[in-house]
Amino acid sequence: MTRGAAILPVAAMLAVALIAWKAIVVVGGLPVFILPPPEVVGARFVRAWTDGTIPPHFGATLQEVILGFLVGAGLALVIGYGLARSVLVGRLLSPYLVAAQATPILALAPLLALWFGAGLLSKVVICSLIVFFPVAVATMVGVRSVDANLLELGRSLRATRRQVVATLEIPAALPSILGGMRVGVTLAVVGAIVGEWAGADRGLGVLVNLARGSLFDIPLMFATLLTIALLGVVLYGLVVLTERRLVGPR
Amino acid sequence: MPSRRPLVAVLAALLAVAVGACSVGSSASPASTPLTVGLGFIPSVQFAPFYLAQQKDYYRDAGVEVTFQNKIDPDLVVLVGQGAIDVGLADGTSVIPAVSQGIPIRYLATVYRAFPSIVFAKESSGIKTAADLKGRKIGIPGRYGSSWIMLPALLQSAKLTTSDVQIVLYPDFGQLAAVEQGAVDAATGFINNEPVQLQLSGEPTVVLRVDQAVPLPGPGLISGTKTLSAKRAAVAGFVAATLKAMREIAANPDAGLDAAIVAVPDLGKDRTTQKAILSATIDAWTGGGSASGLGAIDRDGWTRSVAFMTGLGLVPNAVTVDQLVDESLLPKG
Repeated sequence: MTRGAAILPVAAMLAVALIAWKAIVVVGGLPVFILPPPEVVGARFVRAWTDGTIPPHFGATLQEVILGFLVGAGLALVIGYGLARSVLVGRLLSPYLVAAQATPILALAPLLALWFGAGLLSKVVICSLIVFFPVAVATMVGVRSVDANLLELGRSLRATRRQVVATLEIPAALPSILGGMRVGVTLAVVGAIVGEWAGADRGLGVLVNLARGSLFDIPLMFATLLTIALLGVVLYGLVVLTERRLVGPR
Repeated sequence: MPSRRPLVAVLAALLAVAVGACSVGSSASPASTPLTVGLGFIPSVQFAPFYLAQQKDYYRDAGVEVTFQNKIDPDLVVLVGQGAIDVGLADGTSVIPAVSQGIPIRYLATVYRAFPSIVFAKESSGIKTAADLKGRKIGIPGRYGSSWIMLPALLQSAKLTTSDVQIVLYPDFGQLAAVEQGAVDAATGFINNEPVQLQLSGEPTVVLRVDQAVPLPGPGLISGTKTLSAKRAAVAGFVAATLKAMREIAANPDAGLDAAIVAVPDLGKDRTTQKAILSATIDAWTGGGSASGLGAIDRDGWTRSVAFMTGLGLVPNAVTVDQLVDESLLPKG
């Protein structure tokens, strides 16, 4: 399939969504403060990027997302491997990991902001927490699914532990790990926004609150939400590109 | 064969409850107009006039059937503009940017004559005036909302800006604990909350008010322009009944406290604190003066507030006081 043919359905879907959005506004007679039409949001999006409203907030959120993702995914790789290969680690950690995942991050975020302050650290912690679980589980599943015969072969060839991990387990688990990272990177964006809502000076989550609660600038709120959505799409795309480069298209 | 009598009895009981519920619902006067009224997020003693007017049938006598909803200010302003809520108690400082952005609402009656957002500190901090805040650590919940409008205004009165102080964020609204523990020198709060609690704990407290610098409009009753067209008489009746209850509570705070405890029984667990909060609330209604003229709107104050908030960049489209307030529903005389 050519690149143009691949983009066509995406563009057609976008056009349908924009027409439906506009139709809802026109048919419903909705004012801008309830649902601004797409062209108003588009114009506000361009203005907010060019007049310097969004860029500083975007920079703050991007920093939180990248750091949070790196820390969360890095820890998840280590713990996920431990869960796959050690019964003891699994028994010790599994209940707590599931319990942590089941606890709504929205409820935890204010506490984390209290413990770690309203600065970057609390956002990184919140992002890491939300990224951790899907990547850890994907790593565990990926490592456990490595063909036992391959591992046996490696041992029979007197491969060291490091060689088994680097040449057998990680390459074999990589598709699963990267699948977890696809989920994790989009959740990192959610984590950053939740962290900013719990208390921050800057960030796209702060701007959403300002636009909605102090400025009553609903088009700006939508423009910020669009920025958040685009950030998630771009980061997801980067993980997919990495995946294609490392394990080929899936 | 098992008896069906218990099942029949249960169905009969449910039917009786349903009929009873219907009869309660239909006991309202057929002439009364239903009004949905949005108050602050958490039911509290501050809303005593609304509870008293409801319990003493002032609203029903005015021809309105009131249902209360608790909402946070930004949601409330939009819902009132949309017409989903008929009347709300909202910050005057929210009305200015909201109308500037095209949200069709009007401010009908002042509830808090004094701007309730203040800066408070321990007396031992040595802070006596706004000028004393220079170089000090000030705790705030965030750079938004009424406190973030009040603080620059207060500092401006001493020729200071927010760059002249150290801002410390307390997103969990933990400013009171921060002041108590000495983590900050002063903090923003509400006249009827943090300073009252600090004083009650035995700590002599200083309160810095913004009113002398810029008379920012405090919370008041707002309504949407569509609602005002469709239910004008009912909204006027609601405003009058609420102001009547405010006057009654200003004269006899215990009546307000009792009404609040009936509406929110948990408030009765600490009557002393709630009475102190209500007393501070009454002071904020009257601006420290008399209860006469409750509800009146200070147009000059609104004009100065619009100019001040425009300077802060919060008013993107010019607005006039006529677009913001509507005094025609205030009781005459």
